[in-house]
Amino acid sequence: MTRQLTERPPAATGPAATAPAAPRRAGWSGRKRRDFFVFLALALPNLVLIAVFTYLPLFNNIYYSTLDWTLGSASATVVGFDNYISFFSSADAAKVLGTTAVFTLVTVGGSMVLGLLVALALNSKVRGTTFARSAVFAPYVLSGVGVGLVWLFIFDPGYGVLAWLLRGIGQQSPQWINDPQLSLVMVIIVYVWKNLGYCAVVYLAGLQSLPQDVMEAASLDGANGFRRFLSMSVPLLSPTTFFLLITTLISSLQAFDLIRIMTPLGNGTSTLIYEAYLQAFGAFNRAGYSASISVVLFAILLIITVLQLRFVERKVHYS
Amino acid sequence: MALNLDRRHFLGLAGAGAGAAALAACGGPSTAGSPAASGAAEIDFSGVKPAASIDFWTNHPGKSQDVEKAMIEKFQAKFPDIKVNLVTAGANYEEIAQKFQTSQAAKSGLPGLVVLSDVWWFRYYTNGNIIPLDGLIKQLDIKVDDFQKSLVADYKYADKQWALPYGRSTPLFYYNKDHFKASGLPDRAPRTWQEFGEWAPKLKASSGAQYAYIYPALAGYAGWTLQNNLWGWSGSWSDGWTFNCDSTESVAALQWAQDSIFKDKWAGVSSKEAADDFAAGITSSTISSTGSLLGVLKSAKFNVGVGFLPGGPKNESAVCPTGGAGLGIPSGVSKEVQLAAAMFLKFMTEPENTAAFSAATGYMPTRTSADMTAVLAATPQIKTAMDQLAATRVQDNARVFLPGADQEMAKAAAKILTQQGDVKATMTELKATLEGIYTKDVKPKLKS
Repeated sequence: MTRQLTERPPAATGPAATAPAAPRRAGWSGRKRRDFFVFLALALPNLVLIAVFTYLPLFNNIYYSTLDWTLGSASATVVGFDNYISFFSSADAAKVLGTTAVFTLVTVGGSMVLGLLVALALNSKVRGTTFARSAVFAPYVLSGVGVGLVWLFIFDPGYGVLAWLLRGIGQQSPQWINDPQLSLVMVIIVYVWKNLGYCAVVYLAGLQSLPQDVMEAASLDGANGFRRFLSMSVPLLSPTTFFLLITTLISSLQAFDLIRIMTPLGNGTSTLIYEAYLQAFGAFNRAGYSASISVVLFAILLIITVLQLRFVERKVHYS
Repeated sequence: MALNLDRRHFLGLAGAGAGAAALAACGGPSTAGSPAASGAAEIDFSGVKPAASIDFWTNHPGKSQDVEKAMIEKFQAKFPDIKVNLVTAGANYEEIAQKFQTSQAAKSGLPGLVVLSDVWWFRYYTNGNIIPLDGLIKQLDIKVDDFQKSLVADYKYADKQWALPYGRSTPLFYYNKDHFKASGLPDRAPRTWQEFGEWAPKLKASSGAQYAYIYPALAGYAGWTLQNNLWGWSGSWSDGWTFNCDSTESVAALQWAQDSIFKDKWAGVSSKEAADDFAAGITSSTISSTGSLLGVLKSAKFNVGVGFLPGGPKNESAVCPTGGAGLGIPSGVSKEVQLAAAMFLKFMTEPENTAAFSAATGYMPTRTSADMTAVLAATPQIKTAMDQLAATRVQDNARVFLPGADQEMAKAAAKILTQQGDVKATMTELKATLEGIYTKDVKPKLKS
């Protein structure tokens, strides 16, 4: 898609270009007008929904980020950029941005690398792959709340399954839930477990659509399995990798349910989105401050998406 | 696809964006004046007729859903013109507060009566979310003098009563009688933590439990129960509005707690709910709310003992904080709803109902005239909680009046009790955080 900011519509091409220029409103008669109303009838409901449920909250949030507003209070004070200054000048900013970066990089990298390995395994022609594919994908469709609760039981240092196994070999369970550093590890493990099925299935589809003639040609040329994977499959999978990179990055930056259920205090696990929640709804009720954190997250997502579209996509081989 | 965007369309889009921004500015809070606390003027309820229907928002403290339903049925039998809708508005005090605050922001869907905890009611007051009950207390002849004085006083501010006690609790010391007996220890709670420090190694060696004592879960209410340790050492989170959590006494108290885990190795920290860990036999003792009493007695497969909270080297008594929840009436509903809610509040806190609530949950009866004979015959342990009430102390301002302070205290406790962080440095950091919250969020709203 290209965009042109012009004074006049671009000149027409083809046979019609030789005809004398028609008056501007003439195009609104007849079929064009009917087409426009059809367009309106089809597009307007969606445009209204998007405006009301996406853009209005977005503008609302930007406006709230300029207020010193305690959630629940009927009044607020306009403070301009104070909330942004407070956030970036607080010790929490580095901590929250660091946690967000670690969580996002490890979960995106972990889900994609493990997903690709699982996809390679599922792509092999052995018995039970249909069941294995379903089993691998199942966690992705489960509720994050349910997954979080079950894994909390597994990680519980008192009577969890993991603690029981560790006691069997004479070891004490680490404090997965109370220790902030281990809490982050715990949430990352569960997030990757839940989401790698998605990456695996998308990669599997990518692997199965690779051109077999090219792979066979490489094989005839003497390339072994690893070489074919590295030099043929990985580059040919780049559209899949690019798609997964965008979708998993965005969903990781928006991860909420597992963090909320497994570490309600957000101690060590407070990513940008969870910090925004904690500040407004957790205990502090700082709605304006929370809105400014949400705007920061929005800006980060926007920048990442634009950078991906502009630079990463150039490396993608679509054929 | 080519998108031709000429100046006319561009300006149109820009106008639409500006319009949306202007529309956004129309919603949300008013920016015309400074925030006002509740109750600028007394509300006149004369001539007001109670509403036909009200919502009661509760988190069913102490698994009280059944007893709450039963009380509502009794209320509706007595006042058939008022329907009470029991709404589960959260699983704990924080969730119910979240729903309440969100409804305030949305300016819709508010209940007639709401459960509000010790750390939330003051925030509702400063935000102007609740009404003073004084006028309704007078009009409905609610016998405030018959309530436990200290529990009623918890909700007094600026000479007005902002809530009345409902599911009120204190922490209790729970111990496994069988473990104590097997270790040759007396069948009672320790008088001081020093005494328990002498018992603990024996207890751990002979009981087979993972811990002699488990500290309550930090994600729960660590700031609440750790006041016991701090007060025993003559420390505190705060003294009035002076934040002294980094004092020598406070640091010594938490250093002792840290040593019990890392040096002496007889204590642990609960990950979810200390009462459940205790009932499961993971630990020989713990501290948990009186509201957990009935649940522990039901699920524990051993003899459960309860006692007063242990004192410390400086203070042996008055080391137990009060806690739990009260009932308040929102300011954002009609007078009719407020009146009906007050009638229901009066009914819920009547002596026979507070006794029934206590029997079902283990929470303390809030009325002095409540006949507890049958309740104590069935659950004699509740008597310990009732007796301990006389030895309670009002909670530190830092914990109950500062928004988010409980969470900050829990984070500091996590650093000390699970990461073996430096106690003095952690408490100094916490002090700075608490002072920041006070200066920004509380001080401007206090009555001078």
